[in-house]
Amino acid sequence: MKSDRPVRRLVAYYVIVAIIVAILAYFFPTEIARIAAKGLGDVPEGPSVLTDALSSPDTSVTFGLGSILGVAVNTVLILIGALVLILPVTWVYMSARPSGGQHNQNVVQTLVILPMVVAGIVFMVQNSLALAFSLAGVVGAVRFRTTLRDSRDLVYIFLSIVVGFAAGVQSLAVGAVVSIVFNFVLIITWRYDYGRNMLMPTAAAQWSRPLNALASPTAEHQVPDRDLMLSLTPEKVNALADRFDRVRNTIGKKKKARYNSVLHITTDKVPEAQQQVEPVLDRMTKRWDLDEIVTNVGKPSEIFYLTRIRKSFPRDVLLTAVHENANGVIVSADVETGEVPEGKGSDKDKG
Amino acid sequence: MNRTRSFVLLAGLSPWVAGCRDTPQAKAREAQAVEATRKQELARRLAAADANPEKPAAVAEWLMPPELREISGLTLTSRGTVLTHDDNVARIYEVDPKTGILLKGFSLEGGVRGDFEAITTAGPDVYLLESKGKFYKFKEGADAAQVPYATFETKLGNVCEFESLVYEADSTRLVMACKKIRGKNAPHEVLIYRFPMPLDRATMSTLTVPIEDISGSTKWKDFHVSDITIDPFTKNYVMISSREKGILVLTPDGDVVRSGPLPGDHRQPEGIAITKDSLLLISDEVNGRPAAITVYRWRP
Repeated sequence: MKSDRPVRRLVAYYVIVAIIVAILAYFFPTEIARIAAKGLGDVPEGPSVLTDALSSPDTSVTFGLGSILGVAVNTVLILIGALVLILPVTWVYMSARPSGGQHNQNVVQTLVILPMVVAGIVFMVQNSLALAFSLAGVVGAVRFRTTLRDSRDLVYIFLSIVVGFAAGVQSLAVGAVVSIVFNFVLIITWRYDYGRNMLMPTAAAQWSRPLNALASPTAEHQVPDRDLMLSLTPEKVNALADRFDRVRNTIGKKKKARYNSVLHITTDKVPEAQQQVEPVLDRMTKRWDLDEIVTNVGKPSEIFYLTRIRKSFPRDVLLTAVHENANGVIVSADVETGEVPEGKGSDKDKG
Repeated sequence: MNRTRSFVLLAGLSPWVAGCRDTPQAKAREAQAVEATRKQELARRLAAADANPEKPAAVAEWLMPPELREISGLTLTSRGTVLTHDDNVARIYEVDPKTGILLKGFSLEGGVRGDFEAITTAGPDVYLLESKGKFYKFKEGADAAQVPYATFETKLGNVCEFESLVYEADSTRLVMACKKIRGKNAPHEVLIYRFPMPLDRATMSTLTVPIEDISGSTKWKDFHVSDITIDPFTKNYVMISSREKGILVLTPDGDVVRSGPLPGDHRQPEGIAITKDSLLLISDEVNGRPAAITVYRWRP
């Protein structure tokens, strides 16, 4: 269920759900209000005839086929509501993965099932302290010990619990708002790579420790072999060797670091952006090199330039010039400056 | 083609589904149909109760809908109906105690939440009281409306927990009895605060009655007032206690007129009102039995 256009799909889904809910609320206002916004201040419209307990003493016993049916319908509506709210969350979970990251099918299925289970539990427990204590006892006897691969998965699990709670206390409106806001915030942070450190290796997380050690500016570059053996398969060793070959070729044989910053451009028009940005780099950097173009689906593509910025042009000036020159072509531009100390004297050659 | 078929099917089903809807008009028709019968039945039961005054028995017990399962205070309107409210959300309902018809419901703007314990009408205004002594003043709203409100803080929340409120029309003051006096060495007494209109903390006065004067033949060590009302005939304060399951009648000067057990079987009485045609109304929160307003013949 991954999508090339996750935002459009989300908007379309919520619009369709809103229309269906509006139609249902028109025909069944009481039922929809009961599961969507119980206890939020609204009151049912129109007079209603109260039961006289003296005329029909049996009414104090409220258990019967009608009440069973009522509870069943309510429960089904709550579970459907929870499912409807959690489905787009699973889509976002599957779509908004970091580059190359794979989603975990177990987590997807858990996300679908968990809110329904939570809703069922809360629906049963609400208003009963005794049941709540019993539930705590039962849950205490069953231990869940699952390590999630990605810490972000935990947030999705929390969200599914929130949706389940909202459904259980018959306040699906609250669950809907939380789910909608969560989905859009997550999609936007993913789309714009919010908080990404561009100098961090984009390789799998298990590579990061040896790579960090190798890239250490303290010149203590000794990476124990055992670390590499523990973290890398032969295929990954080859891939890493290829990357280092590429880095070696890019850097050359000189002793000093050739580049001190990375210019990160996001754009939907890669060739045009290159045409607009590269003249600025010619003018404002000592040297630059096109490092990588990452073509993304569902969000803007990325261009990475290795640069050595001239001292006379601070970072902000470079960014302003890039924005001015490539106005309308690029979505965003950012410069990440490395901590590599600049040696005495500098290269004059252009990249 | 499939889409057209779906639209035709939906259009065909719509009137049928709409007809099944619990519309306000359908509910009004149902209420109108039972109104006359219920009035007759109540008159018959009242006649039976009047014929046997030694044995106080309920003449009606109206079971509350789910939204009033935590029914709290009661107050009379000028129309002879009662206003009651939910304990946790500021939603007010109007009930006709003679026919058992829930006439309307409205709420304070924004669905205010709190621990609402008592309600009273003072002319065109309605006052709702929170247990910590905060008043919400508003006008009665139309059915399903949300009404604006103003608040007044008595700042008595650290002294008392309140569950009762009534408007004393003769002296134009709000009267509220303390359910529980806070503090370890709190005296065992009934403590009543009176706020003349317009509300001002500076003009507030108190009335205290020691428990020894009240208990009489009962074994009460305290009297936790759940609600208070004013007898329209004697102008005495009539109070009930959920914990003691008792009723207490005091004069406005603090003299004990009567104290004793409540009639009937009340699991959690939370509200009391007395109508001008001598009906005693007691509201009970859900507690092993459905929430209800029970109607008795009132004999001062």
